[in-house]
Amino acid sequence: MGYVRFLSALAVRIPLILWSVVVIYPILWMFIGSFKSNAEIYASPWSLPKTFNFENFVLAWTDFNIGTAFINSIFVTILGTFLCLVLAIPTSYALERLRFKGSDILFNTYLSTMMIPSVLGWIPLFFLLMRMNLLDNLWALSIVYAISHVPFTIFILTSFMGNVPRELEEAAAIDGMSQYGVLLKIVTPLVKSGIITASILNAVSFWNEYFMALILLQTDSKNTLGVQMDLLATHAQYNSAWGVLFAGLTIAVVPVIIFYALFQRHVVKGMTEGAVKG
Amino acid sequence: MVQSKTQKHLFLAFCLLPTFILFLVFTVYPAVNGLYLSFFEWSGTSAVKDFIGLEHYKKLFNDSVILKSIFNDYFFVFTKVIGIMILSLFFAVALTQLRIKEAPFYRVVFFFPNIMSVVVIGILWQFIFDPDIGLINGLLTAIGLESWTRPWLGSMEWALPSLVLPAVWAGIGLFMLLLMGGIMNVSKSLYESAEIDGASEWQQFWNITVPLIWPQIKTSIIYIVITSLNGSFVIVQIMTNGGPGNATEVMGSYLYEKAFEDFQFGYGAAIGVLILAVSLVTVLILQYILKREKVEY
Repeated sequence: MGYVRFLSALAVRIPLILWSVVVIYPILWMFIGSFKSNAEIYASPWSLPKTFNFENFVLAWTDFNIGTAFINSIFVTILGTFLCLVLAIPTSYALERLRFKGSDILFNTYLSTMMIPSVLGWIPLFFLLMRMNLLDNLWALSIVYAISHVPFTIFILTSFMGNVPRELEEAAAIDGMSQYGVLLKIVTPLVKSGIITASILNAVSFWNEYFMALILLQTDSKNTLGVQMDLLATHAQYNSAWGVLFAGLTIAVVPVIIFYALFQRHVVKGMTEGAVKG
Repeated sequence: MVQSKTQKHLFLAFCLLPTFILFLVFTVYPAVNGLYLSFFEWSGTSAVKDFIGLEHYKKLFNDSVILKSIFNDYFFVFTKVIGIMILSLFFAVALTQLRIKEAPFYRVVFFFPNIMSVVVIGILWQFIFDPDIGLINGLLTAIGLESWTRPWLGSMEWALPSLVLPAVWAGIGLFMLLLMGGIMNVSKSLYESAEIDGASEWQQFWNITVPLIWPQIKTSIIYIVITSLNGSFVIVQIMTNGGPGNATEVMGSYLYEKAFEDFQFGYGAAIGVLILAVSLVTVLILQYILKREKVEY
């Protein structure tokens, strides 16, 4: 019996191990490539570099503007995530807790726009921002990001707010706390785990966003990482600057890896504990 | 607490209005205006837009690139749903129901591609498919299948199927977690009593696991379909730019090309409406196909 169990455990492990390799190997390949010279990449694309030099990173950071793009990406990610919470928390509270006429309609309106492909709105959005003189503006891009994730964030937060005991709100109200105070000091801290789950997912997608940034930004100094990486990739194709490209990719990926390593527990918890229900 | 009606209304307005106004301006208005623009011929530069009614839609029907794009979009939808669902279901079951000590390791690793940017994934996979220094051709050569090597992304037949791989690679983790959540909520006692009744593990999978996590399966499939129809073009744009020829063109990449490269904003808007229509029809049909009596044991 132990023998059979061992074999069946092995049979399941083989695909698991294989898929781990399929996931890890390309990423590792990219890390290693970032330390290699072009000649090394061509001569032996799979081997380790002879010496680990950081030249590629310096080149990518300075000559290819990855440094500026990195800072721009941090800016839109933090501002977008923050604005999204500022917009979604009060709305979620009102929709979930202050039942009013039309609350269901409003909730469904928000949700149903998750179905609308964002490409449908690209062209008008471009011209709208142009008329407002907000093209090539990182603040405007952050607002666009925040609004685009408001429906998703409301969806997550309302499901967490449903679990906040009403007695707490009532007790605070009896103690003379205003409704604004209840929302800010009682309810918001209690849905912390929902806020964290939504914010992680929002921040990761803002950090990684590419197309809105491509359309709405115009000058090189405003580019976010996605757009800048794409430019670098095109450049690398003509100049075979593969090592620099690998270094750029590594710079773009390392922060999310660290971020994910710190918060992955929350992601898994949020995902598996019914925040995203069927 | 005594609270006047005015105060209550003020608080509601405070909670709802700022968000709703910005939502109207940046989400609802662009979508409605996209529909409106699709009835006009407009190059973006002139103040005047020429109303041409349904002309763009007539043109869509006769545009061979559009037909190819719709076919390609459906090719992605179909292969992605099958690839992602089979693998993530297998992994979800393996990581929840079999006592594997290192399960947390796999869970973390498999989710990894989900946090990477599409640009990074696209560039990385361009290298993997590279004819000279890429991993795939290297691997084939290493195991003696040199005759199978080819310039994957530059080939008319292979470019489209090649693009499915990165999409599946990047999608598994999220859906695995979703399905794991469903499986962990299934009561253990069901499996115990099934075991006593002598049901095989395969029978338990089909008769207990699948029906009870059907809501999660259905959500996942619909989610994959929507995100694929609305977002496949990003990976296409980065990896092949729709080529070679129009071999990998999808509706979204064609919209980008028409609007932001050829400045045919009206026609681009009509393609946007087409994407919306195709998504809605597909999801409605799927809802119907995937409908199933809710199971409770």
